[in-house]
Amino acid sequence: MTTVLSLKGISKHYGRIQALKNVSFDVPEGSVFGILGPNGSGKTTLLGIITNVLQQNAGSFELLGQPTAAAVRKNIGTLLETPNFYHYLSAERNLRIIASIKGHGFGDIDTVLERVNLLQRKKSKFSTYSLGMKQRLAIAAALLGNPDVLILDEPTNGLDPVGIAEIRELIRKLAKEGKTIIMASHLLDEVEKVCTHVAILKKGELLAAGHVDEVLVNEDIVEISAADQPRLQQTIASLNGYTHVKEQDNCLQLFFPAGAAKLEAINQHCFNHGVVLNHLLLKKKSLESKFFELTGTVSDR
Amino acid sequence: MLHLLKIEWLKVKNYRTFWIIFILFLISIIGVNYVAHEMVQNFFDDRIKKKPGDLVIKMLIGTPPYSFPQVWQMVSQVASYLFIIPGLLTIILCTNEYSYKTHRQNIIDGLTRKQFVTSKILMVLVISVITTLVISLTALIFGYTSGTTFTTDNIHYLGIAFLESLNYCLFGVMIAVLFRRSGISIGVYFLYVVVFDNFLFWVLYRYGGRSGFFLPVDSADNLMVMPVFGELQKQIERPAFEYILAACISWILIYVFVSYQRFAKADL
Repeated sequence: MTTVLSLKGISKHYGRIQALKNVSFDVPEGSVFGILGPNGSGKTTLLGIITNVLQQNAGSFELLGQPTAAAVRKNIGTLLETPNFYHYLSAERNLRIIASIKGHGFGDIDTVLERVNLLQRKKSKFSTYSLGMKQRLAIAAALLGNPDVLILDEPTNGLDPVGIAEIRELIRKLAKEGKTIIMASHLLDEVEKVCTHVAILKKGELLAAGHVDEVLVNEDIVEISAADQPRLQQTIASLNGYTHVKEQDNCLQLFFPAGAAKLEAINQHCFNHGVVLNHLLLKKKSLESKFFELTGTVSDR
Repeated sequence: MLHLLKIEWLKVKNYRTFWIIFILFLISIIGVNYVAHEMVQNFFDDRIKKKPGDLVIKMLIGTPPYSFPQVWQMVSQVASYLFIIPGLLTIILCTNEYSYKTHRQNIIDGLTRKQFVTSKILMVLVISVITTLVISLTALIFGYTSGTTFTTDNIHYLGIAFLESLNYCLFGVMIAVLFRRSGISIGVYFLYVVVFDNFLFWVLYRYGGRSGFFLPVDSADNLMVMPVFGELQKQIERPAFEYILAACISWILIYVFVSYQRFAKADL
């Protein structure tokens, strides 16, 4: 599989604030690659560096096999941070400017406006648009010229629930067409629903990167304890099916792949080995707590 | 180049603020010259009629400024008092990009940083060319109505007016690229051009001899003098024209260099 984007040791600081620390990962072709992280984790900074609006302090990257080339950016559709348009111009005229910069004709302006449901408002000035419409126009702009790679920074920002669903559907459709989509989001749910790959950032550090199923793996946790804790530990060693074990608060936590934990079997196994459990509890680990665990943020729920 | 100009054209084509200010400025070139014409020429005519061969008047004013060939110089010089307006217009066009963050989007969509600055410089060139054309038209109108015969003597003042306009506008580009926000850019620009440039000129004139003639914007202003009160102007000791011209062109190159450097290196 070819690599669309390859980051090697990217670092960036704003004065004394370190926004990115030595970030490296690859984005494979045809993936929907989510860059996930809480606010201020460096997602936009990272995308800004890739699109040459920010300059990294260290490291390098290659986009479609080339380091920061304007010609490459012409073939990539990008929405970075906010919808950036000339307020005094209509949607159509704004898209004409972008098409000219990219070196395309004006032929597909109506098509992309149609895709985001703005065709009826194409003659309206950008300044008259609602937040959601502005966001949709930015997505339309990214679609101009039918690029093979899209970079979308918080694409559902400011949209109502219907709009969010529409954009997700659009992203899925684009992925099906074989496009590579690099998407930043602080919404785990969004990444989970549309992404094939994910990189998790926290305070500028890359915590994990890879296939969604590997990084955001779902787990069942079984908590057990017995009066004779060392004996219980020995017994557990001969039990199959769990990935790893952790000791916590006088309990043992057994981690199972999602849906693989069978409480009866565990109870039976311990009993057979002469250990009587005084505590047996199945905890479903949500993606959300996994995310909080990865980013080290404490859930207030 | 043409591609970049076409993009700029799409940006300003429907930008009403730009057209209103620019067209009013162009009309003002004719307007302010009409005012000056009425004041100087009428004053001159009256005195000559009353006292033909009045030596005092001849000394004070010189030859009629709105007749060929002085008209080229006079119209250019009077118009140049308004060059702060195209400079302002340039600042608006540049800081708009920052306010709308379209300077980012233009780069994201595939312009190089160099191309972005080049497109603004091309815009300044177009503004200055149009300004110079209107100045020449104005000079022709006043020259012919004075009843004198057309001559290309002194026509080089059009070129000087063009350079002066470039200096004002490119100074504006540099200020906008350095300060990014429209409010502070316009404030700094006006304060420098209207107050500090003159303040420094006179401080330097008092203590530093003639170095004030080489200040960023003053070097452009000092390329020309009014073709009236010639005798009085001789009282002020001026460096040779070539030196002032060299200073003006050097400043233009410095503005351009700083703008390119700053935009190439900055986080947008």
